[in-house]
Amino acid sequence: MKQVYLLLLGCCCCLSSFAQDDLANMFQDSTKKHEPVIATFKSTRIIQGNSIETLKKHELDFRVDHRFGDIGGEFGGGKTAFGLDNSSDIRIAFEYGVTDRLMVGLSRSKGAGGLTQLYEGLAKYQLITQTTDNHVPVTVTLFGNAVASGATSSTVKSDAAYFDKFSDRVSYTGQVIIGRKFNRSLSLAVLPTLVHRNRVTYMDENDVFALGAGGRLKFSNRMALLVEYFYPFRSQETKDYYKNRGRELYNPLSVGLEIETGGHVFHINFTNSTAILENQFIPETTTSWLQGQFRWGFNISRRFSL
Amino acid sequence: MKHCIVLLTTILLLQLRTIAQDVYSCKNTTLSFFSATPMEDIDAVTNKAVSAINEKTGAVYFKVAINTFKFKKTLMEEHFNENYLESDKYPTAEFKGKILELPDLHKDGVYPVTVEGTMNMHGVDKVYREKGTITVKDGKPTLDARFNVKLVDHKIKVPTIVVKNIAEVIEVTVKGAYLPAS
Repeated sequence: MKQVYLLLLGCCCCLSSFAQDDLANMFQDSTKKHEPVIATFKSTRIIQGNSIETLKKHELDFRVDHRFGDIGGEFGGGKTAFGLDNSSDIRIAFEYGVTDRLMVGLSRSKGAGGLTQLYEGLAKYQLITQTTDNHVPVTVTLFGNAVASGATSSTVKSDAAYFDKFSDRVSYTGQVIIGRKFNRSLSLAVLPTLVHRNRVTYMDENDVFALGAGGRLKFSNRMALLVEYFYPFRSQETKDYYKNRGRELYNPLSVGLEIETGGHVFHINFTNSTAILENQFIPETTTSWLQGQFRWGFNISRRFSL
Repeated sequence: MKHCIVLLTTILLLQLRTIAQDVYSCKNTTLSFFSATPMEDIDAVTNKAVSAINEKTGAVYFKVAINTFKFKKTLMEEHFNENYLESDKYPTAEFKGKILELPDLHKDGVYPVTVEGTMNMHGVDKVYREKGTITVKDGKPTLDARFNVKLVDHKIKVPTIVVKNIAEVIEVTVKGAYLPAS
């Protein structure tokens, strides 16, 4: 009989200790959802190309991007303080989140390439978002811009900057950004891109398709390494023509360090492309890393919640 | 012996039944927190926390998914999840405890109570003993509590660059209106 009482007592004890977990068990399924992955990239740009990120609703992003002159080669070295004396391109932009998925923006940049004095209008939309449970394995974002040059037309008819009509000043970029955050520190993206320039010089192509790839490797809570590469698919004739004229086409490769300080995201980067906008750095990069024609630059992003 | 087994089973069954009946739950518990510094006030709120009270044992339970907290600034929300609470590693915060001197939840009135238990947040356990109020109106109990959480207690690191913007002690407010669990 004693044993039974003990058993009874034991059972009661069991039950009372169960009671606590019972309360926890009531809500077992309340956290199983397709949660969206956050912070795949820290900024709306990887370095020059777009990341899958968009601004959130009613956020304003003020951006200043800057590229200096060649560090080495003919125009670099000590006499230009390794490019610091020159600025190859500067872009100032205001970008705004209309909804959590749609952002629009306006920018002005100096321009480096055929056209200068560039005004850009852009829109970016996050189509699908990766989820933590891999129900959706990637995030897909669409990007498009239209860029017009405000420069006075050249008088030389063969120049890229000779404008017969307004449409000669305009170029467009259409881009799909497919990205995935693999773990806390590694995010990768591929960027199929089409650049269309209404007016190009002799033997150049109006439509240039390029495939870009970029990544972010976060090595502390505030810092990350960035890398980005674009491969433009150019016809052999165009490549040969440029090469024979001593202005060979190169593929833009950029590396950068990202520092985040609360509301600011600061990038220090090195790249061989002189221009900042896709419309130029994808089809018109004629500077090479191997000839010292790379430059340092920075991107500053300051986000405000309005 | 046979009688004993019958008795045992009956007691067990009875106890199981009573457990289910004695539980009050709240699936939309409001949790908010507030950080005040001369530089910046930060506040966030969620009403997606869950809670339950066992009327018999006085056991109380809270659970919240960290990523349900909403901030005024979305960038803060991202930093909160990514850098401070690390919600990818520690998706929920949980409190398991006991209400000392639990009042009769069927009798209308305002009752000051003390809650004691362990909160797990950011993967770190800490024992809390805090005061709160249970208000019973029309047979429906409501629990209110306000207490302070020190960030260091839960190993939440604030980098020096924003140390002036984030308070070391965060004030947390809890409010839940309970119904008998079905």
